[in-house]
Amino acid sequence: MLYFRGCVVREKLPQIEMATCMVLKKAGIDYDIVDGEECCGSFLLRTGFTDDALQVMHKTSQNLKDETILVSCAGCYNTLKNDYKKYLGVELDVIHTSQLFSNLIKQGIIKPKKLPVNVCYHDPCHLGRHCGEYQSPREVLASVANLVPMENEKENSHCCGAGGGVKSAYPELASEIALKRVDDALQAGAELLVTCCPFCVLNLESEKLKVIDLTEFFCLCNSVESLENNISKEDILKKSPNTQKKI
Amino acid sequence: MKRSQLSIMNRSFTKLNERRSTLIYNEDTINLKQRVQKIRKNSVEHLHLLLEKAQENLTANGMEVILAKDAEEARESIYQLIKNEDMIAKSKSNTAGEIQLSEYLESRDVEVLETDLGDRIVQFHTSRPTHPIGPACHLNMEKIAEVVSDKFQREVKAEPRAILETVKKDILEKLSQCKVGITGANSVAAEDGSLLMVHNEGNISLLTMLDLHIVLVGIDKLVPTLEDAMSVVKLETIYATGKTVPAYMNVVSSPSKTADIEQILLKDMYGAKRVVLIFLDNGRSRALEEKEECLWCIGCGACIVNCPVYTTLGPDFGYLRHLGGRGIVLSHFIENDEVCYDSGLYQCTLCGLCTVECPLEIPTNNMLEDLRKESVKKGLYLEKHGEIRENIRKRGSSFKQET
Ligand code: SF4
Repeated sequence: MLYFRGCVVREKLPQIEMATCMVLKKAGIDYDIVDGEECCGSFLLRTGFTDDALQVMHKTSQNLKDETILVSCAGCYNTLKNDYKKYLGVELDVIHTSQLFSNLIKQGIIKPKKLPVNVCYHDPCHLGRHCGEYQSPREVLASVANLVPMENEKENSHCCGAGGGVKSAYPELASEIALKRVDDALQAGAELLVTCCPFCVLNLESEKLKVIDLTEFFCLCNSVESLENNISKEDILKKSPNTQKKI
Repeated sequence: MKRSQLSIMNRSFTKLNERRSTLIYNEDTINLKQRVQKIRKNSVEHLHLLLEKAQENLTANGMEVILAKDAEEARESIYQLIKNEDMIAKSKSNTAGEIQLSEYLESRDVEVLETDLGDRIVQFHTSRPTHPIGPACHLNMEKIAEVVSDKFQREVKAEPRAILETVKKDILEKLSQCKVGITGANSVAAEDGSLLMVHNEGNISLLTMLDLHIVLVGIDKLVPTLEDAMSVVKLETIYATGKTVPAYMNVVSSPSKTADIEQILLKDMYGAKRVVLIFLDNGRSRALEEKEECLWCIGCGACIVNCPVYTTLGPDFGYLRHLGGRGIVLSHFIENDEVCYDSGLYQCTLCGLCTVECPLEIPTNNMLEDLRKESVKKGLYLEKHGEIRENIRKRGSSFKQET
């Protein structure tokens, strides 16, 4: 298995990479990290830079052929799975971390521990509406926490506001949209908002509610390896999961 | 748009969502939706053929038909028909908004009497309509009362009945001086040569009784039969208002006539002496060639009600009366890449929710993504995006440097 981290995880949220690697180790999965990993092309495709996108996709596809590719990012997932086929005619075998974890739980390879914390799950547009994956992340979450439904879910999920290059070009617009999404979760009684796209994580962060990536949460709940043993609900809520590096 | 207006608009949208919530998932609606999808896709696919048929049949029914290739031609044709009038009466029409008809007529000293209550209020307030069917949904009662009081220079209570009566009385007085009514049409049946108009207030019925009835309609509104047209407007009503049927559906197939005396055909009984239909192209033929999906639209407004960007920015996200992402797509064909860019091409998060909300499942995010490619080719993109592209070129990552 080849782990493609994606640029946000690689450079902004390395704790997601750490958590992913820990779960992989615990599950006894052999994996490699992509050597000299570059961009998947998602940003370029969404913002109209097709020529650049094709170049970078072509290069990236050379490194990814004939392997199962594990991704942390919903945007990478959608791009590698759908756009590489659409633009390059390359069919890649891609799996999102949420899908992998869900399989590991089903196969009994990881036995999740459940914490009494109320969480809402935010569907990233790239994983949900664009790829139809609503179930796996929910299965994983339901096995480690109280998953509470919130307004505007699954197919009708509201965007976090970051997509399509909006976060970089119109940061205020992106944040305002994010706050509405956070309100959906608060109204549902969430103590924690979980999602599985690093772009969403970065954009949804606010004073109002703690946001954490599914992988990291899963890892914390299961006290994998070097992380604290027997972690409590308070520990997780206290912990600042998004120790975002400054740009 | 002002924050306070946005929050009133969003409150109206929440109510609308609640009203629609069970209706749009019931079996009858789903069947109707599937039927309308077929009708619209098929109609758009054969649009030019339908247009020919419509011209033939509408003319045979006694209406006059004008083809306008762009906004200017449409405005000019209308002006030629009404240039001797001081005032004309008008109903709500997004197509009229698209060609900025009211602004044009006012600039040529023809007063425009909006007869739809919401439109009239927005006309007094000089703001932009926020929903294709509920144009004044960004104003609350207090504000409306204030605007109306200002207009009539007397205190009108912040009470719905008082507002309605005041505005209605004034409209009716003025309407009695009008000889021309301008309306849109929600759907046009080519084979029958009939126009279908939907309204709740009864104002369109009044306008069809004036001497000259001008109907301005985009060529994309064509469907084959009146039965098809009926299905389209039923679905539009459900998605736009949460009701299954509107108060009124007017079908106009000819000027007023009678044959009650020895079967001799006499014109000019109660209704319009002349009905002139203006078919507006304004980029639609181009859209047909490149992105025909954007012409499937039935104008229900469902795509904006839950749009994360529209509910945050309001009508600034869109093009004239074509609100939201689909309006931005249309602006590319009606105008050009610059206008498309300015209408919010890059403000869309491409989340795809509007496709789920849209009864026609119009793939707006895909169309916008495609249009961005063309925009980039013209050098129209955001500086910030250009920087990120540079970062990716230099070091294979969106970010500037190793952190
Ligand atoms: S794009 Fe779809 S949802 Fe929006 S107005 Fe048109 S038909 Fe309605």
